[in-house]
Amino acid sequence: MIKIEGLHKSFGKLEVLKGIDKQISQGEVVAVIGPSGSGKSTFLRCINKLEEPTKGSVLIEGQDIMGRNVNINNLRERVGMVFQHFNLFPHKSVLENLTLAPMKVKSGKKDEVKEKALKLLERVGLSDKATAYPNQLSGGQKQRIAIARALAMDPHIILFDEPTSALDPEMVREVLDVMRDLASEGMTMVIVTHEMGFAKNVANRVMFMDQGMVVEDGEPAKVFENPTSERTKEFLDKVLNH
Amino acid sequence: MYLQTLADIFLKDSRYMYILGGLKFSIGVTLFATVIGVVWGTMLAVMRLSHFYPFKSMGGKIAKLNPLEGFSLAYVDIVRGTPAVVQLMILANIIFVGSLRHTPILVVAGIAFGLNSGAYVAEIIRAGIEGLPKGQMEAARALGMSYPTAMKEIIIPQGIKKILPALVSEFISLLKETSIVGFIGGVDLLRSANIITSQTYRGVEPLLAVGVIYLILTSLFTKFMRKVEGGLKVSD
Repeated sequence: MIKIEGLHKSFGKLEVLKGIDKQISQGEVVAVIGPSGSGKSTFLRCINKLEEPTKGSVLIEGQDIMGRNVNINNLRERVGMVFQHFNLFPHKSVLENLTLAPMKVKSGKKDEVKEKALKLLERVGLSDKATAYPNQLSGGQKQRIAIARALAMDPHIILFDEPTSALDPEMVREVLDVMRDLASEGMTMVIVTHEMGFAKNVANRVMFMDQGMVVEDGEPAKVFENPTSERTKEFLDKVLNH
Repeated sequence: MYLQTLADIFLKDSRYMYILGGLKFSIGVTLFATVIGVVWGTMLAVMRLSHFYPFKSMGGKIAKLNPLEGFSLAYVDIVRGTPAVVQLMILANIIFVGSLRHTPILVVAGIAFGLNSGAYVAEIIRAGIEGLPKGQMEAARALGMSYPTAMKEIIIPQGIKKILPALVSEFISLLKETSIVGFIGGVDLLRSANIITSQTYRGVEPLLAVGVIYLILTSLFTKFMRKVEGGLKVSD
């Protein structure tokens, strides 16, 4: 579903990604963990070309995001994204946040799009907030709306960029619950996260990144219990045993 | 009686008509210039923010040259760096000559002030757009919106709200600045005061009258725009 080959990304002289080759298949829930500055977010942002790879290729369902004839906007319709800071549109109501892209990008019918948006709001447990504006919501509610907004485009894949890092601790749960539901329904997800518990219990694959490389890649149990690289052991020791 | 004097100054021989004519002229030039200024300023801002690199394939330094950005930068520097009165006189005395010399002064002045104001408006718009969180554009693009759609639906509506106070200031400056059109023969508010002075030998009253009119105009406008701003704040 996603095929990444020889992915390099540099910002000026700083080489952030140093050659990543990975494949992610349909229905996989991949947690990407690792220390700050290891390139996790950049890796994620290269998948939908929010960052332009310096070298290499990223194929989404067979289409190269770098391809000359590939319409990146069409591609992004199928790849949803949820951001650390939610990035809801503050000048639009919650419902409009959900309906804007389906209407403008997919030219959906207003009634159908709206009906679907209301269903999604119900699914994330925020039906009563349809007419509210983002600034009237808590962080956890904002992030659930952001997930619903991504879902409104019927994506095949959703990328999560540290979705719970900007939340108060008591709000992390409600967002993770929504993500857990999504995972159990078979959505393909790539999640950059610091929630080790979530990575362990919900993901079915964990990648550990360090210094621009994927150092460890495997089932959660294997990565967490029997990491092969020294660097992974060190990192897990720090974050798990404190 | 002083009231009698005032009546002599303004009412006798229908001299207030000069002021009414001047008022009409000043407002006309300002409106004309505002339209040009906002349209031209938006274009300059878009050029400045564009990612247009036609020489990318040639490599080296020229690959990083964005001619649109360069033009916009140079334009803003030149216009902001020279007095409006100089620009006005250049336009009237060097450009609008020959077959163009019958262009109405209102049009010449409107263009001159519009081109001038465009430089300031461009900077206001650019600052407003660059001041928005980067995540807004990213979220819009990640949802599959094209750059123009994202601009239209997400960036510009939020930008306008931010820049409105600065644009109001610019409009007020523009209104006052039009008082230099006397230099190219336009009869605006200030010039009408001068005409009355030359007929009545009273220098203070016509000037005060004109000053008060400017103040009333700007206050009305400010009041109106505060209402508009208040209306836009709903979602904040």
